[in-house]
Amino acid sequence: MTDQFSASPNRIEAELLRSARFRMLREPGWRKLEALVKQAETHGLAGLNYTEAKELAALYRQAMTSLALARDISLDLALLNYLDQLCARAWLVVYVPQRSLSGAFGRLLRQGIPQAVRRSLLPLLIGFSAMMLGAITGFVLFFRDQSWFYTFVPGGLSDGRAPGASVGYLRDTLYGDASLHSGDVLTAFAAYLFSHNTNIAIFIFGLGIFWALPSFVLTFYNGLMLGASFALFVQAGLGYDAFAWLSIHGVTEISAICIACAGGARLGLAGLMPGQMSRRDSLRLHGRDAVKLFLLAGLMLLVAGVVEGVLRQSVTSPEARLLIGWGLGGFWVLWLWRSGRTSGAKA
Amino acid sequence: MRFQRKSDETAVQRSAASKRVLENFVPPEDVPIGFELASLGARFGAVILDLILTWFAILLLILAVAWLGILPKTALFALVVISAFFVGVPYYVLSELIWNGRTLGKRIVGIMVISADSRALGAHQVVARNLLKDVEFFAPLGLVLQWNYTSTAQSWIAALILLVWTLFVAIYPIRNKRKQRLGDVVAGTLVIVKPKAILLDDLALSEARGGFVFDQTQLDIYGSYELQTLEAILRDPSKSQLHAAELEKVAKAIARRINYPEHAIGADPRLFLMAFYREQRERLESRLLFGERRQDKFHSDAPKPK
Repeated sequence: MTDQFSASPNRIEAELLRSARFRMLREPGWRKLEALVKQAETHGLAGLNYTEAKELAALYRQAMTSLALARDISLDLALLNYLDQLCARAWLVVYVPQRSLSGAFGRLLRQGIPQAVRRSLLPLLIGFSAMMLGAITGFVLFFRDQSWFYTFVPGGLSDGRAPGASVGYLRDTLYGDASLHSGDVLTAFAAYLFSHNTNIAIFIFGLGIFWALPSFVLTFYNGLMLGASFALFVQAGLGYDAFAWLSIHGVTEISAICIACAGGARLGLAGLMPGQMSRRDSLRLHGRDAVKLFLLAGLMLLVAGVVEGVLRQSVTSPEARLLIGWGLGGFWVLWLWRSGRTSGAKA
Repeated sequence: MRFQRKSDETAVQRSAASKRVLENFVPPEDVPIGFELASLGARFGAVILDLILTWFAILLLILAVAWLGILPKTALFALVVISAFFVGVPYYVLSELIWNGRTLGKRIVGIMVISADSRALGAHQVVARNLLKDVEFFAPLGLVLQWNYTSTAQSWIAALILLVWTLFVAIYPIRNKRKQRLGDVVAGTLVIVKPKAILLDDLALSEARGGFVFDQTQLDIYGSYELQTLEAILRDPSKSQLHAAELEKVAKAIARRINYPEHAIGADPRLFLMAFYREQRERLESRLLFGERRQDKFHSDAPKPK
């Protein structure tokens, strides 16, 4: 098959132009590489057998050498362009991600995420303090003047929980009415909350690139909503119950928002204070950990969504709610604190 | 001296204008590869295509499920919510992971994402660039489209923030030399045109020589830029037969410049040009072997007189 490209030895000998001779001698190899690359492009590298894969690697390196040589000896633009493009295509085929996705996921859970979290203490402090400050401010302002509630909490999310609602109604929202919340509705609601929360987390994370400020503001605002809503229940004498109701999924969910904010803060700080590096390099370097923080937030939101859909309305005792919520929180801390430490690690 | 600098500039402009080639992209084999950067228009087109395709797929899915009636209403609602969520960031991440840096839209347009460090594209890079796509593209687009332009209730501060935000994310990739958006910078990625390799025939071999003879002084006038321009003219199929008159013009111009008798060109200017191309290339390439690269007829890369 490749023979149609190779000129007869006599013809090559007779050719006086060095670059033309160069091309005649090597063209069969290039054509073969082209065919292999095409095969790999359509069927993936797995579509090649052992000898073909070996040939691909060898021919790729030969083509690269040809390109380097051709740039020095040939002025034939068609040849230079062809080799450039051929090498580019072969490079794309040879340098594809070799690791399996499932393996990458396992490594991420065992090492990547916990290590990234332990490297990001300052951003985490920023994230959690944004939420805490917001919550405290919302709580205090609510007791100063209840009309703040309407400023902080949008109508769609409050679902009838507002200053002036009866204690009985508020209690119902905490302990649920089995007839009111059939399983289907609950699943749909959990699905809605999960995608809503994840979109907010993506937003908070991404905005971090603008010098971390928007992430902080958004997280602070989420804290305000949380504080004001909680204050509403405290005022009705349902503080303990509301705390338990919030804990079962909230420990995970609210921490996830804080961690997304921490990821954003990591990006923002990288852009604000690049140190000795260029801003571009600093962003790229810190981006790795920031993305891992976000993935952690996404994972926690998924878990929170499941807890919300399955357990929140079926587990009604406040003690059990507290136990599940904070137990889950303890699990996150333990995992992030202990996992992925190399033996004999530095303190 | 001034003349010299000017011709330097034109040489640089010539190479830059022909294609937007990515510079300094060196694979582990240490031979630079010249990828062509994707234009912002192509990238915008790809993302619009992706939006249309994914939302069309959701519409079909919902219609099919509703028509079959296998799910209760609330589950249908959950399905809509989940699939609307899935075609956001998850779709872009998964498709770029599976197809090595290409979404459906990018496949159609013929562009792809590569890692700027010339190694394999990593999963975290794909995640990073698509997470930031949300604040760089979807959120401003959504806000601009949903903005209540008639209402005065929305404060001018919010409008100002939106304006600055939109302008910033729009101008950043335009002003960027490698056309990276913010997500590309964080992820360390580039978007390139998918290369196609087509080998054209070697012009120096393709035709019989017409017995033209050139001497050394005649071949020492032009440089590789002129040689490769001549190559492009000879290869352009529209000029090979239809524009014989133009070929004759080119042949006469060359003959005048190198002091070759015009009447000796003969009836077919193409034969003359082919012969000249071969001789000129041989001459320039043999000088190249001795380390003397002649860029163009201005000799802009010759050692400058002190």
